[in-house]
Amino acid sequence: MQARLLFRILFAGLLLAALTSPPAAALDSKKIYQLNQDRVFQIRVLNRETGKKSSIGSGFIVGNGKQIATNYHVISQVILEPEVFYISYIGRDGQAGELKLLGLDVVRDLALLGAEQQVGEPIRMSPLPPRGAPIFAMGNPLDLGLSIAVGTNGGILNQTDDSRILFSGSLNPGMSGGPTFNDQGEAIGINVATARNDISFIVPSRFLTDLIELSASDEFASADDLKLEVARQVLGYENSYIDQLLANDWPELDLRQFSLPGVISPTVRCWDNSARLGAIARYKRFQIRCANKNHVYLDEDNKFVGDLIYEYFWLESDQLNAIQFYNLYENLNKDQIDSKTGRDIVSNFNCKTWFVDVSGQEMKSNLCRREYVEYEGMSDVLFTAALTGHKNKGFFITLIMTGVDYAATLPLIQKFLEHTEWRP
Amino acid sequence: MAPLILEISTRGLHRYETIEQEVTSIGRAFDNDIILSDPTVAPHHLKIIRYGDNSVEIVNLTEVNPTRIDGQLPESLVTERLPVALEIGRVHAQLLAQDFEVAPTRALAGGGRRGHLFGHVTWAVILVMLCLLAGGLEFYLNAYNAFKWSDLLKYVLRETVLTIGAFVLALSILERLLVNRWEIRQLVTSISLIYLLYYLSANFAGMMQYLFSADWPTILFRFGWNLALIPVAIALYLIHISHLKKNRAIMLAVLIASPIALPSILQSPELKAMLEDFSSAARYQNSLSSMDIHLKDRVSIETFVEQAQNLGRGAYAD
Repeated sequence: MQARLLFRILFAGLLLAALTSPPAAALDSKKIYQLNQDRVFQIRVLNRETGKKSSIGSGFIVGNGKQIATNYHVISQVILEPEVFYISYIGRDGQAGELKLLGLDVVRDLALLGAEQQVGEPIRMSPLPPRGAPIFAMGNPLDLGLSIAVGTNGGILNQTDDSRILFSGSLNPGMSGGPTFNDQGEAIGINVATARNDISFIVPSRFLTDLIELSASDEFASADDLKLEVARQVLGYENSYIDQLLANDWPELDLRQFSLPGVISPTVRCWDNSARLGAIARYKRFQIRCANKNHVYLDEDNKFVGDLIYEYFWLESDQLNAIQFYNLYENLNKDQIDSKTGRDIVSNFNCKTWFVDVSGQEMKSNLCRREYVEYEGMSDVLFTAALTGHKNKGFFITLIMTGVDYAATLPLIQKFLEHTEWRP
Repeated sequence: MAPLILEISTRGLHRYETIEQEVTSIGRAFDNDIILSDPTVAPHHLKIIRYGDNSVEIVNLTEVNPTRIDGQLPESLVTERLPVALEIGRVHAQLLAQDFEVAPTRALAGGGRRGHLFGHVTWAVILVMLCLLAGGLEFYLNAYNAFKWSDLLKYVLRETVLTIGAFVLALSILERLLVNRWEIRQLVTSISLIYLLYYLSANFAGMMQYLFSADWPTILFRFGWNLALIPVAIALYLIHISHLKKNRAIMLAVLIASPIALPSILQSPELKAMLEDFSSAARYQNSLSSMDIHLKDRVSIETFVEQAQNLGRGAYAD
C-alpha cells in the first residue's frame, strides 16, 4: 500500500516537473540542416537503358527506417513506363540504392518507397505548428545539392481542400518530396509545389502517416495494378468531391434574366470573365467563369485532372437583327476543354445533342465524354447548353469536369440545370 | 466526179477544203494545193488522186512522219469507201464525200432570244448585281460591330468582284484556247449563277444542320458542291454554250474543276474530321438558328439525364 502511494507521489512529481519545465529550445535552420542532412535524399527516376536521370526530386526517411517518403509526381513516370524507368535514391555521402514503390496517395501527391535495407534513422513527424510559426523546407533544388529554405506556416488553404498548407518560403524544382520541419526538427509536412516566388505549398504530415499505415509491405504486383490503383484513388476522390457538391446548398448567382448556381463549394472561385468590347460593338456580352483549385497530378502525359469549370455566357443586342445576332451567337458557342492532348492519352470525344426544357426555356444541350487510355473508368466530360428561341438574347452554360467517373457527373449536371432559373 | 471534202482538225476546230482537182497535193511547202503549217507535216506529205469510177487513191510522199491511213501505214491506198481517216504528222484529217451528213444544228444558248438568261447582256448585268448584293448581305449579316460603308465595299470588292472576275478571266482564256471564241457574256452569266447558287446552298446547308442536329448537311454541301456541282456546271456550260462534244466536255470539266475542288476539299474541316482518327476537340452540334426549327423533341431534364446514361464511351484512336 505504501509502495503504491509512493509510486503515485513520484508519478505526480514527474508529471508536474514535465508540465512546468520550459519548452525545448527552438532550433535554427543550421541545426535542423545538420541534424537531417543524412536523412534527406535525392530521389531519381532513372532510365534502365541509359542509366541517366529522367526526373529528380527529394525524399526522406520515415516509418521503419527502410521507407522513404516523396511526392507522387516525382516518381509518376514509373507508373506509365515501369519497364523503362526505375526509382533510386542517393544521399549526401554517396549512399545509393534502388527503391520499390510501396504506396501511393495520388490525391495528396504522396508516394512511399521502400529500400532493401535500413537507410538511416527515420525522421519523427509532428502535427502542424500554429499559423505564422517558422518552418524549414529541405531538398535538392535544381540538382544543386541539399539546401534548406526558411519560411512560415501560412495555414491550410481552404480553396482546395485540407490537403495543402501555404509556405511563405521558396521551393524550387527538385525540392519536391523533401521534408518541411518545425523548429524542433520534426517533419510537419512534405514539400509539394510552388506557384510563384515565395508562394509554395506543403502537404501536412498526417496524410503521410496515414499512407504509411495503409501501405503494403511489398511493391505492387504489376504495372496494370499501379494504373488501376491510381485510377481508383482519383475516381474515389472525385466521386466524394461530387457527392459533397451535391450535398451543398448552392447559393444563387444572377446573370441578367437567369438565376444560376453560384459558388457551389469553398473550393470554387468565380470571376468576371467578360471580354472588353470596343465602342463599336453592337452587342453586350457578360461572362462569369467559376473554377476549382483542387487539381490532382496524374502523370507526365496527362498532367493535372480534377478540374471543375463552369462558365455562364450572356449575349444580348438591341441593334443586331435576328440573323446577325444568331451568326454571332453561333460563333461564340464553341467552348472546348482547354487541353492539347494526344491519342496515346485519351480517346476521341463522343457527343450527343438534346433540346432540354430548362425552367420553361429550351436549351440546345450537348454532352461529350472521352476516356483515358491508361486509366480505366476515368473520363473528361464537357456539357454545353445554349438558350434558343429568343431573337436577341443568347445564353449558354459550359460545364467541364476532367478525370471523373462519367456516370457520377450526371447528377451534378442535373442539379445544375435544375438550379438554372429563367426570370422573365 | 463529185468533189471530195477534206476536214482538217486543229485544237477542236475544223477547217474544210473542197477537193475538185484530179490530183491534190498536201504538205507544208507553198507549192501544195492544201498547205498545212504544222511543223510535223513534211513539205510534200501526201497526194490525193480522184478517179472516174469514184475511187480515190491516197499516196504517202514522206519518210518522216509517214501518213497514217485509217490507222495503217501503207505507201498508198485505193478505196471507194469514205470517210477515210488521215493522220498527217500530228494533224488529224478526214476525207469525206460531199454528201456526208453533218451533225444537226446546235441551238444558240438561250435560243438567241433576248428574254432568255443567256440571250442578252442585261441578264449578265442583273446577275452580277445580285452577286454583289449577296456579297454585301453576307458582310452585313456578319457585321456585329458598327461598320463604315467603305468596309462593306472593300469586302464586296474582295470577296465577290475578285472571285467572279478571277473565274471569268481564267475560264474565258481557257475557252479562247479551246474553241477559239470569247464568250464573256455567257461566262459572266454562268459564273454569277453558280456564285448565287453557292451562297444560297451554303446558307441552306447551315439551316439543315440545325434542323437535323447533324453534320451531314454541311458535309453533303461541301462534297456535293466540289465533287459534283462544279464539274457538272462546267460540263453543261461546255456542252450547251461552247458546243463541245459531250465526252470532251466532261473530261475538260473534270480537269478544270479539279484545281478548284481538290484544294477546297483537302482543306475542308469536314474531310479533316473524316480522315483524322483522333481529335482532341469535342465535335458537337454548336449550330444555332434564329428560325429555331428542329426535328429533335424537347425533353425534360430528367429524360435528358436518363438518356445521357446511355452515352457511349469515346472511341480510341488506333
